[in-house]
Amino acid sequence: MSYAYLFKYIIIGDTGVGKSCLLLQFTDKRFQPVHDLTIGVEFGARMITIDNKPIKLQIWDTAGQESFRSITRSYYRGAAGALLVYDITRRETFNHLASWLEDARQHANANMTIMLIGNKCDLAHRRAVSTEEGEQFAKEHGLIFMEASAKTAQNVEEAFISTAATIYKKIQDGVFDVSNESYGIKVGYGGIPGPSGGRDGSSAQAGGCCS
Amino acid sequence: MHEPEFHDLSDDSDYAASQQQGLGGSVFGSDPGMTSGFNEREGSEVVYSKDNVTIHPTQYGSERISGRLRLVKQGPSLFMTWVPYKPSPDGADFLGNNSNSALSEKDRNLYTITPVPLSDVRSVRRHTPTLGWQYMIVVLSSGLAFPPLYFYSGGLREFLATLKQHVHIVRSADDANVFLVNDFQDPLQRSLSSLELPRALSVVNGVSSKDLASSVPSFENSERLNGRTYYVNPNTSEYSRRHKHKSHDPARDISLQVLEKFSLVTKFARDTTSHIFRESQSNSFDSYERKQQKQSPELIPAISTPSEEQSHSNDGVVEPDPLEFDKINLVWGNPRQPPLSSDEWAALLDSEGRIMDSNALRKRIFYGGVEFNLRKEVWKFLLGYHAYESTDAEREYLASIKKSEYETIKSQWQSISPAQAKRFTKFRERKGLIEKDVVRTDRSISYFDGDDNPKVALLHDILLTYSFYNFDLGYCQGMSDLLSPILFVMEDESEAFWCFVSLMERLGPNFNRDQNGMHSQLFALSKLVELLDAPLHNYLRQADCLNYFFCFRWILIQFKREFEYEKIMRLWEVLWTHYLSEHFHLYICVAILKKYRKKIMGEQMDFDTLLKFINELSGRIDLDGIIRDAEALCICAGENGAACIPPGTPPSMPIETDTGLYSSQPEDL
Ligand SMILES: Nc1nc2c(ncn2[C@@H]2O[C@H](COP(=O)(O)OP(=O)(O)O)[C@@H](O)[C@H]2O)c(=O)[nH]1
Ligand SMILES: [Mg+2]
Repeated sequence: MSYAYLFKYIIIGDTGVGKSCLLLQFTDKRFQPVHDLTIGVEFGARMITIDNKPIKLQIWDTAGQESFRSITRSYYRGAAGALLVYDITRRETFNHLASWLEDARQHANANMTIMLIGNKCDLAHRRAVSTEEGEQFAKEHGLIFMEASAKTAQNVEEAFISTAATIYKKIQDGVFDVSNESYGIKVGYGGIPGPSGGRDGSSAQAGGCCS
Repeated sequence: MHEPEFHDLSDDSDYAASQQQGLGGSVFGSDPGMTSGFNEREGSEVVYSKDNVTIHPTQYGSERISGRLRLVKQGPSLFMTWVPYKPSPDGADFLGNNSNSALSEKDRNLYTITPVPLSDVRSVRRHTPTLGWQYMIVVLSSGLAFPPLYFYSGGLREFLATLKQHVHIVRSADDANVFLVNDFQDPLQRSLSSLELPRALSVVNGVSSKDLASSVPSFENSERLNGRTYYVNPNTSEYSRRHKHKSHDPARDISLQVLEKFSLVTKFARDTTSHIFRESQSNSFDSYERKQQKQSPELIPAISTPSEEQSHSNDGVVEPDPLEFDKINLVWGNPRQPPLSSDEWAALLDSEGRIMDSNALRKRIFYGGVEFNLRKEVWKFLLGYHAYESTDAEREYLASIKKSEYETIKSQWQSISPAQAKRFTKFRERKGLIEKDVVRTDRSISYFDGDDNPKVALLHDILLTYSFYNFDLGYCQGMSDLLSPILFVMEDESEAFWCFVSLMERLGPNFNRDQNGMHSQLFALSKLVELLDAPLHNYLRQADCLNYFFCFRWILIQFKREFEYEKIMRLWEVLWTHYLSEHFHLYICVAILKKYRKKIMGEQMDFDTLLKFINELSGRIDLDGIIRDAEALCICAGENGAACIPPGTPPSMPIETDTGLYSSQPEDL
C-alpha cells in the first residue's frame, strides 16, 4: 500500500508497563496478555489516515530493562514520535519517567513528538498515580498526555493517531525538512510532489485504515 | 534438504562447440621442451595441456603466477596438475610479461597443484565474465578449493570438454556454470564420498598417505615434484609446534594449516577479481580511460570473444555483478548426521559410566546433536555440570548433594517474611521483575501454557534462587529464555538450576550491567566479518552499522528467538560442545550475515532497515545449512579467526578480578 508519509515511532518506558500490548492493540486490535517479553526491539506497522492522506506508522517497541538502555539508545535515531509509557498501578514506573525523558532528549532529534501514556487505566482500583500527576508531568515537560488501556483499547487508537496528527501539523508548519530522513519521516507517493518515491515498498502489515 | 537435479552437458553451448572442433584429445602433448619439471613416467599420457593458466595470489592484478595446467591419464585414472613456471632470470614469464618478482620461489611452490586424481574432485565452477579472463575454481570432495585459475590464453572450454571425455561430469541444475565430477545420484553415496579433513589433506599438500600412494602409483616417487610442492611436516612445522597443546591430532593441524593458506589465497583471489571488475566497470563508463588502459594490456582483462565485445559496445553495458563472488563457496561443512542415539551413547561409556573419549562425544554431537530422550543426561556433561570422567556413582552422589544445596539457597529467599520484604526493596523489585517475566516466557509451548501452570512457578523459583546464588549478577531479562529449554529437558528443579548455573558461568557476562560481555562479543563479531567478508564489513562501516547492535538478540540469548523450540535445543547442544571453537555462535552469526549479504548490500540497508530485516529473519533460517556454513567459515578462519576474539569473551570464562566477576548492579527498573 502506498503512503504519503512514513513516520517512525519508538515506544519506551519501564518493562512491564504494557508497551508491547499497546502496540499489539494498535496494530492487531487485540489484547494478548500472554506473549513473550521483548528482547532488544520488535516492530509493528499500520496505516492510518490524516487529512485524507495515508500515513504509515512504523513502530519500534523496545525492551525496558535498565541493562539494555545502552542499546535502546541506538533506536532513537531518526524517530519522529515517541510513546513514553508508565503503568498507573506502579508508582516506580512513573518515577522513572524523568530518566527516560532525559535519554530521549539526548538521543533523539529535538523535534521528536513525545506522547506520555498512563497505561492500564482499566485497573483504576489499583491506581497508584493520579491522572492529575500525569497531566502535571506532561505539562512541565511539554508532552501530550493520555491515560489508556491496552486491555480495553481505551485511548489506544487516539494516542497513536494524535501523535501522528501532531507530527503532520509540524510538517505543514514547516518545522521539518522532510527530505532529511533523520527526522524520522519518509515521503512516499502522494506526499510532497517530487522524484523521491516511497522507498518502503512493503504493504502495511496489520490492521486496516482508519481515521 | 534440497537436492539439485542434473543435466547432461549436451545442452551446453561451450561443450557442443568444443565437440565440433574435435578438441580435447588434440590438445595434448604440446611442446615437451616447455615442461616445467613434470616428470612423466611411462604409461602416463598428457591429454590436456595449457600454458598461461594463472593465479593471482594478491589483490593486485599485476601480481600473479603463471603456469601450466594439465590433465594426465594414468591407467584408468585422470589427474590434474598445475605447475608454475620458474621465474626466468630477467623476471619475464612465459609470455615475456613481467611477472612479479616480489613473489618468492616459496610462494610459487605454495600454489603448485600436485597431481590430483579427478576422483577427488567434486566440482568445477566455470566463470566466464563478460569482461575479463575466464577462470575456474576446482573444488575437492573435501570441500577444499584451489585458488581460481585464470585462463589467460583461453582453453577453459577445452578443459571441460577433455574432462567430459575421461570422467563422469554432469551439470548442476542449480547453477549452469557448475560441473559436478563423480556425482552420484544417490545422495547417501554422495555424502559418503564427501570425506573428512585428513584425507583431503593428502590431496592438497602432497603428503603421501597410504591412500594416495596406492591410488597414484606413477607419482609416488616423483621426488622433484614433491620438492616443488608445499609440504607441511606435522612434527616440525611452526604451526603444529604452536598448537600442540591444543590439538593432539597432527593431521588436523596440517589440514587447518592448508585450509588457512587456501582460504587466504582465495580471499586474495576474490579481491583481485573484484579489483579487476572495478577497473573494467570504470572502463566501460569512460571510453577515454579505456583507451588509455588498452595500451597496457597487462592491466585490463582481455575481452574474450567478439560477440561479447559487441554486446558491450551496443550500449548494453553489462555490469559484472561484483557480488557474484559471494557464490564462491570454497569450503563447506560436513553433512549433518542423525542425532546421537541411545545405543551409541551406551557404547561411549565404560562399565562405571565414565565417558571414555569426550572428544569423540563432542565431535559426534557437534555434527548431529542428541536424541531428545538423551538430552537430560548428555547436556549435564556439555554444560560442565558433570565431569566427563565421573562415574555413575559419583554423579548420583553429586546430584543428592546439589539437591540439598539448592534447597538451602532457595530457603534464603523463601524465609523472607512479608514484613522483612517491605524493608527490602531490592528483593521486592527483583522478585517482581521475575514474576512479570516468567509469565511472558514460552507460554506458547505446551509445557508452559495455561493458567497457573506449575512449570511457570518453577521458572520463577529457579531464577529467584539463582539471583541469590549470584547476587551480584542478579536477574536480567533474557535469563528466562535461557532457562526455559533447560527446565523443559531436565524436568527436575534442582538439576535444572545447576545446569543453568553452569550455563551462566559461560554466559553470565551477557547480562552484566555494563554490557561488557555483549560488547566484547559484538566486537569479536565485527572482526570476524572483517576477516571473512571484507566487502560486507566495508559496507557496514560505511552504513554506520559497525556496532552490530542488529545482532544483539542473537547473541544475548543464543538465537533463542530465531529458531523454533526443538531447533534451539539442537543448536545449543552443538554450540555447547565447543568442538571447533568456543565461539562457534559467532561463526553462526557470520554465516547468517553472509547468507543475506547480497540483499543487505544490494538494497543498501541502513541501520534501521537492517535491524528490522534481521529481526524478521526469525523462524526463517535453515538451521542445518547455517551450521554447515558456520563450520566451513570456522575452519577457513582458523587461527586468524581465533585471533579476532579477545580473551575472556563469553562463553570463555571471564578473567577474574579481585572485585568479583560481575560489576555490582544498582537496582534495575
Ligand atoms: N490490565 C491490564 N494489563 C495490561 C495492560 N497492558 C499490559 N498489561 C499486562 O502487563 C503485562 C506486561 O505487558 P507488556 O506489553 O509485555 O509490557 P512491556 O514490557 O512494556 O512490553 C502483560 O502481561 C499484560 O498482561 C492493560 O492495559 N491493562
Ligand atoms: Mg515488551
